[in-house]
Amino acid sequence: MSVSEATLPEAIDGGSGSEFRRGVVSCVPVLLGTIPYALVLGAQATQKGLSAVELPLMTGLNFAGGSEFAAIQLWTSPPHIALIVAITFLVNSRHFLMGAALVPFLGHLPQRKVFPALFFLCDESWALGLADAKQRADAGITPAFSLRYYMGAALAMYLAWVGFTATGALLGPMLGDVQHYGFDMAFPAVFLVLMRGMWKGTAAARPWLVSLVVAALVYLFVPGAWYVAAGAVSGLASAWLMAGDA
Amino acid sequence: MIGAATLLTIVLMAGVTYLTRIGGYVVLRNRTLSARATAVMEAAPGCVLISVIAPAFVSRNPADLLALAITFVAATRLSMLPTVLIGVASAGLLRHFIG
Repeated sequence: MSVSEATLPEAIDGGSGSEFRRGVVSCVPVLLGTIPYALVLGAQATQKGLSAVELPLMTGLNFAGGSEFAAIQLWTSPPHIALIVAITFLVNSRHFLMGAALVPFLGHLPQRKVFPALFFLCDESWALGLADAKQRADAGITPAFSLRYYMGAALAMYLAWVGFTATGALLGPMLGDVQHYGFDMAFPAVFLVLMRGMWKGTAAARPWLVSLVVAALVYLFVPGAWYVAAGAVSGLASAWLMAGDA
Repeated sequence: MIGAATLLTIVLMAGVTYLTRIGGYVVLRNRTLSARATAVMEAAPGCVLISVIAPAFVSRNPADLLALAITFVAATRLSMLPTVLIGVASAGLLRHFIG
């Protein structure tokens, strides 16, 4: 189901339960790519000496997969606390931009709802929630951002992530390398479909191309996770420059 | 089952991660953005998404690149679930037979 197909009929129906369910359903294709990674993270963590209690504590409180993979790669016994916390911050710094992109859609919500909802912000819940809000805005539906749709997608991700990382920790190293099976291609697939939904013409997409080229070059030539920050920032800089031309 | 140093690391990780999640909202919620800043914010989601998946575009494995090309074409015309299924299946099969 695409985000566009998911949006219209039930939004008119408007029931709160159906909005939540719509979010859960839209998250199902994403889970297909997430669950194998959750199992692998769990298996890797036990090899590094984390217990089947400690790992779900991490994935449940931190809930940011990229930083958890980085932390487990760097894990020693005892852990190098400052290094792991710094890397976590670096890998997750893209959340600043993601939260900023949501701000125009959150004006109708009180802070007591926004702050708990933002705990569940991850690449997938953010992308689904934002793409849905943009399409509802184009369709003239107010408020454009559906908090229950977002929470449906976010809680499905959360339960799957914590549950399957714990399962991976229990099953341990009997799991092989998921890359052999192609599940990693689920993420480019999901992200490309979401970007098609945000497409506003070639000119508006030029910053995306800048991001792609810079992120790819940095990935190839600079070790570590710098490529996400470098790609995102250079794309934004080019958007800023191009807006000045107009 | 839970070591003290491990617990401290996890709590600090969770703290800095939550700060990154609320940071953009806390800083921008009461501001009116200029036209230029709005243009930047509209480009931001796509810039973040494409940067995250950029490594797939420069894989050294021809099977991966071919699978990505198939997935890319699928993403331009199909909805989410068929695109994901085609992407996963093509990557799995091409790696098996080529890579």
